Amino acid sequence: MANSKKPESSKAYLAELASQVPSSSRRDFLKKGVKFSTGLVAASVTGGAISDNLPPNTPIWSKTLGTGVVSAPYGAPSKFEKNVIRRTVPWLTADKISSISMSPIHELKGIITPNGLVFERYHAGAPTINPEEHRLIIHGLVDNPLIFTMDDLMRFPSESVINFLECPANGGMEWRGPQMEALQFTHGMISCCEWTGVRLSTLLEEVGVQNTGKWILAEGADGASMSRSIPMGKALDDALIVYAQNGEKLRPEQGYPVRLFNPGWEGNTSVKWLRRLEIGDKPWHHREETSKYTDLMPDGRARRFSYEQEANSVITSPCPENPWSTKGSYEIEGLAWSGRGKIKQVDISINGGVSWQPARLKGLVLSKALTRFSLPFKWDGAPGLLQSRAIDETGYVQPTLTQLRNVRGTNSIYHKNSIHTWQLQSNGSIKNVQLK
Amino acid sequence: MCSLSKLFIAVAVVIIAIISTTSFAAGSFGIGKKATLEEIAGWDIDVRPDGKGLPKGQGSVTLGEGLYEEKCASCHGIFGEGEGRWPPLAGGEGSLTEDRPEKTVGSYWPYASTLWDYINRAMPFAAPKTLNPDEVYALTAYVLFLNDLVEDDFILTVNNFAAIKMPNEDNFYIDNRPDTKNIRCMESCKDPDKIIVVQSLRGITPDQKRSSGEEKKSSLSKSASAGQAIYSTSCLICHGSGVAGAPTLNDKEAWTKRLEQGMDTLVKHAIDGFLGDKGIMPAKGGNLSLTDEQIENAVHYMIEAE
Repeated sequence: MANSKKPESSKAYLAELASQVPSSSRRDFLKKGVKFSTGLVAASVTGGAISDNLPPNTPIWSKTLGTGVVSAPYGAPSKFEKNVIRRTVPWLTADKISSISMSPIHELKGIITPNGLVFERYHAGAPTINPEEHRLIIHGLVDNPLIFTMDDLMRFPSESVINFLECPANGGMEWRGPQMEALQFTHGMISCCEWTGVRLSTLLEEVGVQNTGKWILAEGADGASMSRSIPMGKALDDALIVYAQNGEKLRPEQGYPVRLFNPGWEGNTSVKWLRRLEIGDKPWHHREETSKYTDLMPDGRARRFSYEQEANSVITSPCPENPWSTKGSYEIEGLAWSGRGKIKQVDISINGGVSWQPARLKGLVLSKALTRFSLPFKWDGAPGLLQSRAIDETGYVQPTLTQLRNVRGTNSIYHKNSIHTWQLQSNGSIKNVQLK
Repeated sequence: MCSLSKLFIAVAVVIIAIISTTSFAAGSFGIGKKATLEEIAGWDIDVRPDGKGLPKGQGSVTLGEGLYEEKCASCHGIFGEGEGRWPPLAGGEGSLTEDRPEKTVGSYWPYASTLWDYINRAMPFAAPKTLNPDEVYALTAYVLFLNDLVEDDFILTVNNFAAIKMPNEDNFYIDNRPDTKNIRCMESCKDPDKIIVVQSLRGITPDQKRSSGEEKKSSLSKSASAGQAIYSTSCLICHGSGVAGAPTLNDKEAWTKRLEQGMDTLVKHAIDGFLGDKGIMPAKGGNLSLTDEQIENAVHYMIEAE
């Protein structure tokens, strides 16, 4: 909000409070309020430029009553956090119905993304599905094809996992060069939640997969009936049929009432609004695994079924949205993640990769989850080139952009996980740059 | 003896009953009901490269042409070239190794079955799953024709489908990452004097301060509000970035200058096209399927929007 720097006038504040008070007591409240605000105006005149709400004054919210319980039955963030929202890049896609938005990861703390800020990706918009009329059918090369209601699915033993969800196109706008002066747009196609559901392997045991069954087609109930081919190995390993995120039922944007979730794999495989799983002996080669979500290489050939999200990291503070202001102490902080397991180490460079120092991993360090890293830093006002470099438990070291381009060129769109560079200016502002 | 063995059996039955209701052995939850053939058939719409899943039916290039122009061309272009940011369907042969590859059905897609499957499950964009199988065959045939893969008298059927081989089929291979091998160097990893810093392109990062669309909308006239959606689908590509001399939304100076000739002239130029000193405005922005009123609304939106 534009006026977030300056508290609203006490009169406006009281009027707003009054509007939230039941009408029977409103007149009385307003009467008191008017008297009260007159007093405050006098105080501010004598107090000069100091806000009425700053010490030594007693702030207005310490002398009035707040809102009562269930005034917001489903709560929302403070109105002063109105700028913490998902955003999209309008020119990226033809229409918002088939598009993507990014999470404001520059504003988030810890590793969990609040449900209202999880990035969105639709191919035909987010459908409105009545859970009582939703069904999941599992059929194909099985002994016992079954149809499940949502109540059925919730009777199975459930599991909860904390995993990131990332679109493989995260960062994909910058293969050719830096474009976006904002972390939200360079890396925001990622979120991390606690996901709850039933193991896919449990459901597969229930239907009895035949020996010839090697692949699973997962299909959504949205207008696009988005579909992907999933190898049986993943299904039996850690795939989940998810109906809840961060403690509550899935948001419509995230596949309400039920979605597939493939930890560590490109987000597109975690098919939302899941209506059908067909077991087959071969993959289907559908549109989202041929025309899209394949990686064009410089020789004109293309990789397909590139499911894993390789180790990646980015500094979230400072970043273009979180500049530094004065010289002094700061915490260089960021996020690292790997689709192949846990983050083992993150290193930070302030000189464009000439030298590196280890950062500390803080909080939970979980497999296939966002992981926080931190390095206390005393800034003397000198410009710098800030980078982070993640290493996962397989020993894979996040590549430089040059290394990635040498193998993949600039036209593969997906899976750009290279070391990212922020240019720290002497005035503390941060610019998105790339190094050659 | 006899009564003892009866008792033994009775106890055994009770024990088995207890086990069967409390154990969670594989596949023994007994939750869910058997999916009927009819239920499965209604939802089982997928088609594979070997033709598995294709229903009976057929469609000609000729029939497909009419359907395509009616249902597809507004987004994908009359020749499959793609309007605005909507996907092109044809062309781009031999471009995959070029600086700006064009990935179309003909130049990139490995299987014709993908085309049938996708049209059937997801197209037309605003009315998915409204085409009957013969129409899907016809549209598939026509898109293949747009890519010079079949002749204009071709009729696609369930029987000749498997014979179609797409030119790019053999150029896909299974993921072979990891494909980079960075090492964890800590000191003197590169020569600081050889670092070249590439700056970002200016002016294309969306404004993050504008927190919600609500405040914007409230100040728009009725016409401008109606034009907003047209703008984002048909005008944004040029007027968002300013290519071809197109004035951008927040360039007040450019719009004020143009408004001096009067709103009617401005709208007329947008409808009929205009060639000025600064650049070119194609008639209706190149999307002739838009009505004059839609264009007028979009112009209002561009002038009023901040």
